Amino acid sequence: MILNALSITMIFIGALSALLAIWGGISSLILYRKWKRPATPEEKTSLEDRSYLILLIMVIVLVVRLINWPLFYVTLQSFISDIEGAMCIFGVTQVKVDLTRFSEILKPITFFFIGAWLILHVLDRATKTSPLMRRKLFLLSIISLLVLIDSLGDIFLILGIAPESLVSCCTTITDILNRPTRTTPESIFGPQYARFLQSIFLITHLALIGFVGLILRSKKPRRAILGFLCLFSIVNAALFLLSQIEVFAPRMMHLPFHHCLYCLWQYVPDSIVMYLLFILGTFSVGWGFTTELFGRQGEAADLLPGCLRKIYWFAFFFLSASLMMLLIHLLID
Amino acid sequence: MASNKRWIALFVIFVIISLGSGCQGERKSIEGRCDYDGAKIEPLYAVYFTLQDGTEKNFCSIACASMSFSALKKQIKEVRVVDEPSGNKINASDAFFVESEIVTVPHVKNRIHVFAKKEEALKHIQKFIGNWVENPFLL
Repeated sequence: MILNALSITMIFIGALSALLAIWGGISSLILYRKWKRPATPEEKTSLEDRSYLILLIMVIVLVVRLINWPLFYVTLQSFISDIEGAMCIFGVTQVKVDLTRFSEILKPITFFFIGAWLILHVLDRATKTSPLMRRKLFLLSIISLLVLIDSLGDIFLILGIAPESLVSCCTTITDILNRPTRTTPESIFGPQYARFLQSIFLITHLALIGFVGLILRSKKPRRAILGFLCLFSIVNAALFLLSQIEVFAPRMMHLPFHHCLYCLWQYVPDSIVMYLLFILGTFSVGWGFTTELFGRQGEAADLLPGCLRKIYWFAFFFLSASLMMLLIHLLID
Repeated sequence: MASNKRWIALFVIFVIISLGSGCQGERKSIEGRCDYDGAKIEPLYAVYFTLQDGTEKNFCSIACASMSFSALKKQIKEVRVVDEPSGNKINASDAFFVESEIVTVPHVKNRIHVFAKKEEALKHIQKFIGNWVENPFLL
């Protein structure tokens, strides 16, 4: 284990959130099952009091887990100097490849579900009768499981990264000619794949912003349309990743043959802001759909259009801002 | 509505500041680094390409330089490498290249060593189980 302030923080957060996730997950499942049963007013009051306590504690845990995603990368960055052969985060990820990859996939999924749940919670809190409480408790028990796995993954990973490990860094893997991010688009578009990739991403990204703008203008958007938009944002995210690796990152770094996104964050620090805006924009589109899916119940249904409007406004703003940052970079370069 | 505008203004300022500081940091951090992957250059293992237009490209290792070589071949006027025992820059066509079990630049696992004198290269081959390698920068 590499001992520094960040690794200790990660383990502390991991241990605390794992314990609270077990407690919160089980408690919310029990409350979910009891919620609909007939009960005396005293029992009902006790149930409500318990649920508010659980929700209060779990909201704090979930917010901490949201912060944990960027903290995870900051911690990996702090390990670079202790890993021989690592010149960016990629090198650190090579010490425990499978576990790191698992964490890197799980973290955005957990982040998305936590965000979706928190929005539902805020919507429910704005009502007087808490019509979404039962759904919230059920979803919380599922999210607690994700939080538990994610937290344990963090602990094992941080404990497992030994100092002075010898690794190869990104150059030997991300820059090889037969990398899948190159061969796949090249097989579809031919040798000029980079130009096509760039154009397709810009078109889909602008289209996504346009669709979100249309949703903002429509008074009552249909669930199916929001679902389609959610899928479209996933496609756009995949294109973003591919075009960043193959086209934009090398240009922004002024290193035309280097395709490592971790190096991009290192050499062009404001690209982190651009990524953050893109992630929040893309997730906001998804959060709009999940809020529509789970939030249309009782009193909450009346507040839903206003809530959706805010979410899609955020999506519109974040996606536009990330595109603006990308374009400014390309123009400066 | 007024609160929304304030948030927008704050965010725009935030984006502009981070963009400005990012671009400045970018220029600072890339100067004097490897032109292939941006890694810090250890002068003893560096490779220098002089292009036809007079500009110079610097690389942290033989591995990075050889990966760029094929793409830049037509523009290259001269390739200089560093003799490991003395630290002197020599023309790649005059150098002896040896591959051995000793890694010079860990992040690319570069095992190719450069020598100006054949005796030094032979000594390295015998000591570290090496073998001769052809000049990777044949123009």
